[in-house]
Amino acid sequence: MCVTRAGRVVSASQGKARVEFFDGRALDDVDVSVVNAKKGAFVEVFGNLALGVLSPAEAKRRKQAWNEVAKALGTAR
Amino acid sequence: MKADGVLFHAKHAFMPNSLGYCGPDERGMIQRGLEGNKSDEKLVQTLQKFEAAYPFLKLIAKSAGRQVFDYSVPEAYWIGNRLLDRVPVSDFYSFSHHEIRGRDPEKVREVFRRLDGTAPPHHTFYVMSTYATTVVPDGPNVTNEARRKIAEVIDNCRISWGAVRKVGKEELQVEVRRVNMDDGRLSLARPAVKRVRYNPEVKPFGTVKPGDVVSVHWNYACDVMTPRQAKNIARYTDGDIRLVNRLMKSEEGRK
Repeated sequence: MCVTRAGRVVSASQGKARVEFFDGRALDDVDVSVVNAKKGAFVEVFGNLALGVLSPAEAKRRKQAWNEVAKALGTAR
Repeated sequence: MKADGVLFHAKHAFMPNSLGYCGPDERGMIQRGLEGNKSDEKLVQTLQKFEAAYPFLKLIAKSAGRQVFDYSVPEAYWIGNRLLDRVPVSDFYSFSHHEIRGRDPEKVREVFRRLDGTAPPHHTFYVMSTYATTVVPDGPNVTNEARRKIAEVIDNCRISWGAVRKVGKEELQVEVRRVNMDDGRLSLARPAVKRVRYNPEVKPFGTVKPGDVVSVHWNYACDVMTPRQAKNIARYTDGDIRLVNRLMKSEEGRK
């Protein structure tokens, strides 16, 4: 199943972006056109589509939440 | 451990994991398990690393008093069955805050408040409600193109189903009803043929034939469904759509 993942746009061009997620993984070709995200923005991604832009404070909270999940699952990176 | 439940779960989790959208980076493990029709401890360990799917199974299993990989448990989660009705809403509420991290807690609270405790721990509901719990700039005023993209990602990510019309070497033509989003409301479109991939090495796809009803996830045929499962997924999907439309309607009213 897809999960909503938060991460940072590290490069973007013509509505597509590479996003590095807080879980340590990354995806190319994320569609950021709906939220019009630029390089450096924190985004919330579902599948391959960015559905939200996060404030730095919210992004920090999501990162902490992810670290807790990773610890619980034994997948901390 | 129940092998049939493990494999059923793996079939439905495989494609989004393969695309890098969820779960651990161990897609080869899942594919080997499916092609060998063999469940072992390593496959189970891989499936336990999914951030959301596995906690959902644990929630349903606990409420039903069954093992996590009892066939009925992943079946409830992906397709829908009576076990969903046995999950107390208080448990699901608590689970949504403490097990599924990363969502905005205030929005999760709102979902439960506005649905009066009727939210089911069903995969399709989780997928569809994501739209209502995610910050989309301009909310219901997004452009038609954005709506189309959102509907498409919802459609790909939920489990859809349909009758096989034509069997190719590694491709099936399946008559499915896609998710539509018109005026901020979700619905299922009229049946239309869609091309999906399948793996003939995965049982029972070696013998798949026109008329079989298959479940589909990210344009990949996961399994051949029983008539009971086809009836259940239609029923639960309809319920999920009704609930999410209620959510979106009340969200619109708040703006």
